[in-house]
Amino acid sequence: MISFENVGMRYGMGNEILTDIGFSLERKSFHFLVGPSGAGKTTLLKLLYLAHRPSRGLVNFFGKDLATLERSALPRIRRRIGVVFQDFRLFDHLTAFENVALPLRLQGAKKAQVADHVEELLSWVGLEDRMHARPATLSGGEKQRVAIARAIINKPDLLVADEPTGNVDAEMSKRLMHLFVALNKEGTTTIVATHDETLVRSVGAPILRLEKGQISLEPGGKPIDPGA
Amino acid sequence: MWGRTLQFLPEKSLREGLLPWVIGVMLFLCTLSLAGALAIGKGIENWSLGLTSNFSVQIVVKDADERQRQTTAALRLLRATPGIENAKTLADAEIMALLAPWLGDMPISSELPIPTLIEVNLSETATVDTIALAERLVATAPGAQLDDHQAWMSQILELATVVQLLLAGVVIMVVLSTVAIVIFGCRAGLATHQESIEIMHLMGAEDKTISKAFDARYLAHGLKGGFLGVLLAASVLWLLTDLAESMGQGLIHAGLPEASSLLWLSVLPLTASLLTMLTARITVRKALLELM
Repeated sequence: MISFENVGMRYGMGNEILTDIGFSLERKSFHFLVGPSGAGKTTLLKLLYLAHRPSRGLVNFFGKDLATLERSALPRIRRRIGVVFQDFRLFDHLTAFENVALPLRLQGAKKAQVADHVEELLSWVGLEDRMHARPATLSGGEKQRVAIARAIINKPDLLVADEPTGNVDAEMSKRLMHLFVALNKEGTTTIVATHDETLVRSVGAPILRLEKGQISLEPGGKPIDPGA
Repeated sequence: MWGRTLQFLPEKSLREGLLPWVIGVMLFLCTLSLAGALAIGKGIENWSLGLTSNFSVQIVVKDADERQRQTTAALRLLRATPGIENAKTLADAEIMALLAPWLGDMPISSELPIPTLIEVNLSETATVDTIALAERLVATAPGAQLDDHQAWMSQILELATVVQLLLAGVVIMVVLSTVAIVIFGCRAGLATHQESIEIMHLMGAEDKTISKAFDARYLAHGLKGGFLGVLLAASVLWLLTDLAESMGQGLIHAGLPEASSLLWLSVLPLTASLLTMLTARITVRKALLELM
């Protein structure tokens, strides 16, 4: 579904941050992306959610070669990708409901349809009582769940999460991970970047390990947490 | 162009708060300059209309008998010319009154030879070839000199044209300054909302969807500022009209706002808001092209 071949990435005239990256994400797969700080995780995620074009190499999204795609064709592909940012990136002046509704409104969904979907999803992530709260009044875990709800409201083909548990406590990390696994079971290809090795072991999914700009794939183990 | 707008920008932005006021000031200056240019144009038109409907003929001959003979011949020719409604000689007393500012109160019986002055009025719709008429007059009465005011009227018209061009230059500069201010304002707005724009972009919003949010915002700024500026300018113009009327008919009077003039005033805020919106749209679209 997504494949990278000999991908290199540098900003401006600087050194390559990613070198000869090659991997593929099959449909409905779940991967962790791990690596020390500065290894290039965020850059790789930016390539995955189409914030940047690679400096070199072949990238294929949903059967389409990125190099041959016109800029005007990219919004359609981006709508198939849900992104959860480490710092949530919610609109502070909008309520939780309005934040989550944005991707649907972008696609021109009808008001009633938007209301049904958003309410259902916010209930699913346990925020049925916080729908009309603004981000400033939400806790870190609540904000992250709003961000996740916004990322998945469109039922994306690919979900990219950057350190989704970085700003929440252990209990909330576990709950969020349950959410990702549940989503993946419903068919969403998922890649989660994290520093949290315990979290990685708890799920037992394959690991893409980035070190010094190069990537390697480690097979998944047996989940430690039976609930995951 | 006016499709559904997905407004993701916060309602208020401090950096954009001054923009309607600046647009208001620009529109104020623009309106006054335009009104000035139009007033001068209209004034000159009315004034020259009055002057071209009449002219004068002088019979400059020293000998009184010969002057009288040439005057009679000239009057006959003028009255027979199509388009001339009437031609009459001014009485000596009237001529002396006209000359009084230069010669003082001189007795009419003075030895100073005073030319005969014939005042000629044209029919309302008539046009007379004054050059050909002057030639025929000289053939009939060699001492005749036709004065249709062209010599000094053309200088006044030239001056008025220069002033109008200057005012048009002011309008163009004000419009360009407004565009520049909107570009700066829009860039400041873009910087303020950079993160929101990026998120929308990554969610799959098309450039036009994002720029529409700015379109609506800047259209509103343009309308607010535009109406403010034009209302202020209209008030000033009304005051000037009152002043001009109290001073009597003058060059500046004719073009100042009458009821019909208010129509073009109302077009200005709409034009300003469209200009503001289009400037913002182009600025935003150009900035968005920098994103992948």
